[in-house]
Amino acid sequence: MTATVGIDPVTVEILRNALNSAAEDMNATLIRSAYTPIIYEGGDCVVALLDAEHQVLGQSAGLPIFLGNLEACTRATEERFGRDVWQPGDVWILNDSYLGGTHLNDVTIFGPVFVGQTLVGFTASRAHWIDVGSKDPGGSMDSISIFQEGLRLGPQKLVAGGVDERAVIDTISTNVRFPYPTTGDMHAMIACIKMGEKRLQELVERFGLETLELARDEIFRQTELLERAMIAEIPDGVYTAEGVLDNDGVDLDSPIPIRLKITVTGEEIDFDVTESADQTVGPVNCGVSQAVSALRVGYKLLVSPDLPGNGGSFRSMTTQVREGSVLGARSPAACQWYFSHLGLLIDMVARALAPALPDHVAGASHGDSMIILTAGVDPRVDREFVSLEATVGGWGAWNGSDGETALINNVNGSLKDIPIEVHETRYPWRITEYRIRPDSGGAGRWRGGNGVVRTYEAQTDLSVSLWFERSRQPAWGLFGGDDAIGPEVIVNPGRDDERRLLKVNGMRLRKGDVVRCATGGGGGYGDAVERSAQDVRADVLDRNITAGTALTRYGIGEQ
Amino acid sequence: MTRYRVSMDIGGTFTDVVTYDDVAGVFAATKASTTPGNLSEGVLAGLDSVVEQPSDIDFLVHGTTQGLNAFLERRGVPVLLLGTAGVEDSYHIARGPRTRLYDLHYRKPTPLVPRRDVLGIGGRIAADGGELEPLDEDAVRAAAGTVRERGLGAVAIAFLFSYKNPAHELRARDILLEELGDGFTVSVSHEAAKEWREYERTSSAVIEAYTGPVVRSYLEDLEKRLADRGLAVPLHVMQSSGGVLTAESARRRPLQTLLSGPVGGAIACAELSRRTGRPHLIGVDMGGTSFDVSLVVEGEPDVSAEAKLEGLPMLMSIVNIHTVGAGGGSVAWAEAGGLRVGPRSAGARPGPACYGRGGTEPTVTDANLLLGRIDPKGFAGGQMTLDVGAAEAAVTELAAEFGLSPLGMAEGICDVANSTMAQAIRTITVSRGIDPRESALVAFGGAGPMHAVFLARELGIVETIVPSFPGTFSAWGMLQTRIRQDYTEPYFFLDDDLDGADMSAALHRMEAVGLDALAHEGVSDDARGATHAVDVRYAAQEYTLTVPLRDADEPTDPGFVTAVAERFAELHESRYGHANLGAPVEFVTLRTTAFGDLGRPAPQRWPVADSQTFPYEVREVVCGGEGRDTMVVRRDDLLVGHTFAGPAVVVEDTATTVVPPGYTVTVDDIGSLVIREKDAK
Repeated sequence: MTATVGIDPVTVEILRNALNSAAEDMNATLIRSAYTPIIYEGGDCVVALLDAEHQVLGQSAGLPIFLGNLEACTRATEERFGRDVWQPGDVWILNDSYLGGTHLNDVTIFGPVFVGQTLVGFTASRAHWIDVGSKDPGGSMDSISIFQEGLRLGPQKLVAGGVDERAVIDTISTNVRFPYPTTGDMHAMIACIKMGEKRLQELVERFGLETLELARDEIFRQTELLERAMIAEIPDGVYTAEGVLDNDGVDLDSPIPIRLKITVTGEEIDFDVTESADQTVGPVNCGVSQAVSALRVGYKLLVSPDLPGNGGSFRSMTTQVREGSVLGARSPAACQWYFSHLGLLIDMVARALAPALPDHVAGASHGDSMIILTAGVDPRVDREFVSLEATVGGWGAWNGSDGETALINNVNGSLKDIPIEVHETRYPWRITEYRIRPDSGGAGRWRGGNGVVRTYEAQTDLSVSLWFERSRQPAWGLFGGDDAIGPEVIVNPGRDDERRLLKVNGMRLRKGDVVRCATGGGGGYGDAVERSAQDVRADVLDRNITAGTALTRYGIGEQ
Repeated sequence: MTRYRVSMDIGGTFTDVVTYDDVAGVFAATKASTTPGNLSEGVLAGLDSVVEQPSDIDFLVHGTTQGLNAFLERRGVPVLLLGTAGVEDSYHIARGPRTRLYDLHYRKPTPLVPRRDVLGIGGRIAADGGELEPLDEDAVRAAAGTVRERGLGAVAIAFLFSYKNPAHELRARDILLEELGDGFTVSVSHEAAKEWREYERTSSAVIEAYTGPVVRSYLEDLEKRLADRGLAVPLHVMQSSGGVLTAESARRRPLQTLLSGPVGGAIACAELSRRTGRPHLIGVDMGGTSFDVSLVVEGEPDVSAEAKLEGLPMLMSIVNIHTVGAGGGSVAWAEAGGLRVGPRSAGARPGPACYGRGGTEPTVTDANLLLGRIDPKGFAGGQMTLDVGAAEAAVTELAAEFGLSPLGMAEGICDVANSTMAQAIRTITVSRGIDPRESALVAFGGAGPMHAVFLARELGIVETIVPSFPGTFSAWGMLQTRIRQDYTEPYFFLDDDLDGADMSAALHRMEAVGLDALAHEGVSDDARGATHAVDVRYAAQEYTLTVPLRDADEPTDPGFVTAVAERFAELHESRYGHANLGAPVEFVTLRTTAFGDLGRPAPQRWPVADSQTFPYEVREVVCGGEGRDTMVVRRDDLLVGHTFAGPAVVVEDTATTVVPPGYTVTVDDIGSLVIREKDAK
């Protein structure tokens, strides 16, 4: 791979920065204009600038799980309708799980970019919509078919030649529960892709398409070269990992195995997940393109965490996904919780490659979103409310550091918890406990991070749905580090009607009932006996571990 | 006779001092070396160099980095944190976001208090402010014992819902002061930041407790030394909000001074905006190791109600300063056959190759030097001579990797750096909903004027302004400010439920408190005033916008709710690109700002030229790939009315302005260089 002829390094670097910056401008436009906090605060979105062959020219560091997934949408559209379907001034929408790979809430909006009559590329954005008309508000815990999960759109024009397709927008508005913020988010996404269109047109006009294409080739060449060099450092061989989800949310007794085989040959790396479980009745399925994205995240975390992604990324990476499996869902598989096994898969990449990259990998994380969704009527204002929270947990340790405590899971971007003061003002709950859960991280030379305990006391009668995962296989340790403790949810702890459960849809609770949610920790790294006495004593002082664990697991008593 | 207004801005290397002589109507600027061991020494030395008698000073304002340095170097006092029992881990959970998404080894910002020094105290206030459970006073008393046993230096108290009902925080403080003595530092969260969100409020109180004693002892020491020398007026301190406080108030509210250093530049831009009638400005402050961007929108500095320092949040009014790069120290390097400039910085040590301190990698400063854009003898006011040979060697080595000539490489490094900085500026304006082409660019700091016109060209900005004394512009800005005290009060109501009379009464109470405080600062009746605003959002949104109110009486107007909703919709449209007039809105927080006018120095009239001739030399400077004969002018020789065309270089002690071909320069009536594209209207 020799340097591209016909272009100087200064112009290449100016264009490389300009393309990434154009994506940042798109992202800033989306975040600035979005109506719902899941986008503007949680960052549950991604944008990309593509060339006319659907290769990534620039993308923002958006939600990792959407990595390299937007081009699948423009490609699918072109495959279905032909290349001539792209016309100036058009905007398209798509949320079909089997094309976009995720749940129906993740909507992709995209459009072609023309300079004069020449198609020069595409701009695209994807964001999570708060509701798309599923059987339960915001999404269900127990759907068994995509037809229960809301409005499903194949590639469809939202705007034709600069004119809104009113009928399509009306159809969307009438099929979602919260049309006002939803159409607000839709317009924010359109503004976002228009910003990208303008930037790309400016670059083509300033530098010329030929120069831009030469620069693109050179940028891709540089990225590919760097990634190949990194893969070449991984010893050739076959690396495997197996993980398991507790269940599919419907049949609570059957675990769902996920199997990963990575084959490294020189500068090439292949990811094979074909041996994973068949698609399930419950909603833990995803489309092929999303499985590929998750594998790319796992790859990027280890191979190229600091490189901006572009069309030169992943060129020496191949993937094998089986249609009809939980990672290659076919209609009518339910896909609402499409990410539970993807979070697991990302951790599994590190587990598989641990022997080859011991200083890059980390123990597993608590691993899933750990959702509590509640609904009812708030008697203080006599209004309906719906609350939806993800709960933070522990992350795995690595060579050189303990894992982090109380952190959002890997498929949730930069989501923050809801402050207690905001929660109690908005919803009829009292939060009586929000604490770090000692001993929940795996012991080790480096200790896994701890999960948390968050306890809610109902101030009125209401309903609760739960999605807590990874109890059968809590976060694993590496190189002799201990596994973590998994999640635990107790309703009315210590009372006669105490019960334990992890997943439930629409459970009725009475005023005064208590839900105590505990999340798991992260896996440890290295043998616990190698941890210094000083670190163990500091952990006891800081209540990260109990004195009992210090003695039994680390052999360190009080001084 | 008192005749001087003086501002002092302490930087890492230099302390800038700007004086305004009321009698002569003239500004002067100087620099003294910063004395890291004892900052008061450098301040006093700087002062001595410009003012004969401290008793001649009638206004003295100071931007201090004491608290900030204590924070950054983790030299604050050890703090005990008291939280509400059961949820006292909120501070360490820190809401749990990951801000670097491709980092398997992510760690949160390091908290200032270790978990062992956090105690949960019994007692609970409800969301409506009612008491659910009384304060466990014994536990507070026991906490005082813990402070003594562990030798801790301050206590931060942050209980749930204290912004609604501060009784428990106040009682706990009383107990601690009884036990530990009146002089002990106890920071309570509802005073540090009277807003909801317990993590952010707790963090504010902790930062205040952690840095407060350091700021306090510094200010006490400096005030005493100044008084010993005969200073007759109170020392004023710059706040992060852009206003000033007396040192006495700053000792009580030290958090407000934490980010006061860089704010001067933004305030100076706002003053320039007023003086020259340009509503929108982009301020570019580029130094040897930093590149900061600030915005003036509609004549006002862009202010936020929340900031983060090394990832730790603070709820307070703060002028937004965006740090987007490493300035002149950015290193140029090769990766996979591609050219990269930054983000790595050579820093101050070893610094650019031309500093002769052992740096061998080429930086932006080396490239500028090689291109003739920097005078090797006049760098940093002549305090440092640059090694052109070392710069050339470093750039030549990189040039060989790309098969470029050394000069081509040097210009390429500058071009890449300029385009990267320009794109960062553009993204900031996009986030704020502004088109950069509607702004003028203001360049200051040592390196800002060297790059400014190139940045303006990338951004499509027509006009670039280089103020007089660009190297001490921030210190000049501090002379343009007012005393400012900010007050907030949570006020949570849906529009339908709002009682205008009650809201008005609350605003009047806040105004009275603010005006009293100003009286206490020595501001006379006729120089005091207050403005009011309310934070509003659409129902169910998380974030608010601050909507200005006419006055404290406005909420009693019959059409008040509609008027505020319309104003909010306008702001929403401009900030977020859309609005939804008619949708329900929520009121969240009342804000009152009390201002005390200190009088501003009259604008200094720059001498007017009586002819179009002025002295200059001709030197070769590289621009657009070729060496060109370039006019080199001394800034002192330029008078109002002088006009000339690029290529030109304007040199002065603290900065160098580069004017490429195709641009013309005029000198306006306050001495600023105004640089415009030749063909621009």
